[in-house]
Amino acid sequence: MSGSSTVRSMARSPFVLVVGVILTWFIAAFLVWPNVNILMATFFPDGSFSGRAAEKLFSSQRAMKALGNSFLLAVALSVTVNLVGVFIVLVTHYFRIRGSRILFLGYASTFIYGGIVLAAGYKFIYGDKGIVTSLLVRVFPGMDPGWFSGFFAVLVVMTFATTTNHMLFVANALKGIDYQTIEAARNLGASTWTILRRIVLPMLKPTLFAVTILSFLTGLGALSAPQVLGGREFQTITPMILTFTNSPTSRDLAALLAVILGLATMLMLAVMSRLEKGGTYFSVSKVSSELQKQEISNPVANVAVHAVAYLLFAIYTLPVVLIVLYSFADGAAIQTGQLSLANLTLDNYIRVLTQQSGLRPFIVSVVYSALAAVIAVGGLLFVARLLQKYRNWVASTFEYLLHIPWILPSALLALGLIVSYDHPNPLVGGAVLTGTTVILLIAFVTVKIPFTLRMLKASFAAVNSSLEEAAAIMGAKTLYVFRRILLPLVLPAAAAITALNFNSLLDDYDTAIFLAHPLVQPLGLVIKANTDGAEGTEGIANTFVYTVLLMVITGVTMYLVYGRSGRRKGTKRLPDAAPGQPVPGPDLPPAQAPAEDDAARPAAAVR
Amino acid sequence: MRTLKTLVAAAVAATLLAGCGGGSTPPASSGEASGAPAAASGDTLVIYTNSNGEGRGDWLAAKAAEAGYKIEIVGAGGADATNKLIAEKNNPIADVAFGLNNMYFSQVKNEGALEAYQPAWAGEVDKGLGDGETYWPLVKQAILLGYNSDKISKDAAPKDWTDLWTKDEFKSRYERVTGLGTATAQLVFAGILSRYRDDSGDLGISDDGWKQVEEYFKNGNPAVAKTDLFARIASGDVDMGQMPSSIIADREKSFKVNVDTVTPSVGVPLAVEQLALVKGSKKKEQAQKFIDWFGSAEVQGEFAQKFNSMPVNKSAQAKANPEVVDFFADLKQQDIDWDFVQKNMGAWVEKIELEYMT
Repeated sequence: MSGSSTVRSMARSPFVLVVGVILTWFIAAFLVWPNVNILMATFFPDGSFSGRAAEKLFSSQRAMKALGNSFLLAVALSVTVNLVGVFIVLVTHYFRIRGSRILFLGYASTFIYGGIVLAAGYKFIYGDKGIVTSLLVRVFPGMDPGWFSGFFAVLVVMTFATTTNHMLFVANALKGIDYQTIEAARNLGASTWTILRRIVLPMLKPTLFAVTILSFLTGLGALSAPQVLGGREFQTITPMILTFTNSPTSRDLAALLAVILGLATMLMLAVMSRLEKGGTYFSVSKVSSELQKQEISNPVANVAVHAVAYLLFAIYTLPVVLIVLYSFADGAAIQTGQLSLANLTLDNYIRVLTQQSGLRPFIVSVVYSALAAVIAVGGLLFVARLLQKYRNWVASTFEYLLHIPWILPSALLALGLIVSYDHPNPLVGGAVLTGTTVILLIAFVTVKIPFTLRMLKASFAAVNSSLEEAAAIMGAKTLYVFRRILLPLVLPAAAAITALNFNSLLDDYDTAIFLAHPLVQPLGLVIKANTDGAEGTEGIANTFVYTVLLMVITGVTMYLVYGRSGRRKGTKRLPDAAPGQPVPGPDLPPAQAPAEDDAARPAAAVR
Repeated sequence: MRTLKTLVAAAVAATLLAGCGGGSTPPASSGEASGAPAAASGDTLVIYTNSNGEGRGDWLAAKAAEAGYKIEIVGAGGADATNKLIAEKNNPIADVAFGLNNMYFSQVKNEGALEAYQPAWAGEVDKGLGDGETYWPLVKQAILLGYNSDKISKDAAPKDWTDLWTKDEFKSRYERVTGLGTATAQLVFAGILSRYRDDSGDLGISDDGWKQVEEYFKNGNPAVAKTDLFARIASGDVDMGQMPSSIIADREKSFKVNVDTVTPSVGVPLAVEQLALVKGSKKKEQAQKFIDWFGSAEVQGEFAQKFNSMPVNKSAQAKANPEVVDFFADLKQQDIDWDFVQKNMGAWVEKIELEYMT
């Protein structure tokens, strides 16, 4: 079990070696080399290092305050998103709540939209001219109409906007809990609350840790919500990073800020990995049974949970409804908040859809995003499995290297790729990549690696390793075990990750602007051209139209992928029961599989 | 039955994904073959611009096609287009770039990414508006201080930018920027800071000059993301702010407000959109022909007519909207040393962002 022996055992497996070689090349060529290049050019402009960037930044009050705000938001979000996220997951998947399907649809609205339009949607409702604010002011005339701004408003909006990962992954992990453990606890007299705290939540740990890192990262990178709702007191660091990235003479400041945020994320990652280590997050019973919804026995608590659930439903759905409505209004009405049903027309949609470029950018984006999403998830399935299985310094090094895209802003990643591959480069077989259609695909795959890896690793952690051992003892080859046993178990999560990757790449601008082939331009560039200038009347209306169109595409994607994997739920236990049944595998003493350090503590069960 | 289906689906997906897993590397090599480099994309000219919004790109592509040019327009913000041109200088993808102002183009030129070319219409434009060598002027744009004229009479209106923070009645009634990423904002500051040039001061500006910047930010009402200045004027949030001349007429109509503009005694800064040939273009001759065509009096005149712009080409002005031409005829242009501004703008933006913006 010592580090060196697992490294040696890694080196003995041909499967590990093949994946390792490919991975090493990919990391060297696309994660390390381009970014080292761009960082060298940034920090050592004349070949010598200057401490200028640090000096300037640390003496700037604004930069320090904005940086502090970003960190504050990141920490606060890690807490609030977990609270709200776990609550809505329990309400839709664990407790017996009336109308939980409708509630699910409402909470799922964050799957399909986000960014500046989401912030604008909340402003239509709670902003100084918003619907709810107007009502409140009528009831309480002394109220400040500008109540919804600053840290509080940003935190509220971002909390509700970023529960997507909970709804997908935590819910998925919850479904995997063995109902027998819950029944057993209840028979022993445990209360609903105790069961939740001592049995259910501990099983969700790997997934909760993974989504916590994501919430932290979202908070650090917050951009549109603070811009729209932060007001004077609560601005974050991202707008400054973007401005400085764009200015060649200040790029070192942008890179330094990005590296600071990146290191913080890595620190968070390290802490979470440590917390996660050593637990067993799967059921060890021979026949696990499916989770059944729980009644809340206390009537007061039951009413309270219902009330909060429906209040949250209203909070989640109102902005979507308004955004769809406003997409039919003219730009002036959107910005002044004057909505009248008589003024709603199809003009905006006609203008957007009858452009010369027509549907082509949509198709280009769909193809690029789908390819990138599938390649990222497909490739990382192997990697995540190996990283989850082998825990030694080699695996950790790979894992941290794969998180490089989280450290740098995408514009810098793109510039790094350009300066590294605008000439024949031996790393890619002497090819020139700039000006080809491949370079954008590479960038798309790269930026999605950290998220994909985190979520896949978390879902592998919930797989019972005795199934794998059983098959291996029966003589199944590594790839066979992977394909027939592991893959079906993580497929729902993998499908959800693919869908989220796809959705988030659809309207990408930051990467595409630098790397897109001129004849194959994705949607992000067209959106930018039609919504910039930034705020003209047509521009803002177009922003809403594109948001709604993207909602349709992403909604369909989520339905196809998640709706289908949801249906698969009913039969999900079959593949893991099927290979398990003829084999007495789970009963075998763990000593027969010395490489499996997970299996070495089968009794740890649920703590 | 369902089980079987699920298993088959899973197996198929697994095989597909497994294929991709091994294939997560090949796209680099297999794609190369199919992904033709831009240079080989037939005879299509690749054109970078920040001036393709509001239908301009589509209009130009259609016109060019009529004239026998096949073009592909790549739109990007001014700063993005500039960075892209510079980043790609070793293996350029674009053939022509236009729409960027002289500040942006001089950065591109300093990086050696532009090729000198004298267009056929060079004699019809004021050479001083470009660099007379690599980039050539197309369209003029005035960067103005505008105010709500329904609310403020001409006599009561500010006479210059500096009035905004020195006179109490304008304090917190004007919109101030929250970022210096846009060309318009940078030009406003070029106009203000140029007046306080002092070679012994910080970054070539006297302490008094920096004091103005400080006051501008302290007393202004911060802009709101995705809410146009005109929308804020209409709702009474603010009464005035910066605006480029070309958008005023259109926005007045959409937001039902009336706006008048201030002409300070020193004049107003002009942004001049330029056109240039990209160094290393593989279709140099064709690109040069396109430049000759696009900057010609005829095309610029039609463009001006269609988009209410002010052409630099003197022969094109006859076709432009007379109101626009008159406005520019009466307009006093601020005398700005662009070399000085271009050399310092990056550092100014950095200083302002770090020290004065709150």
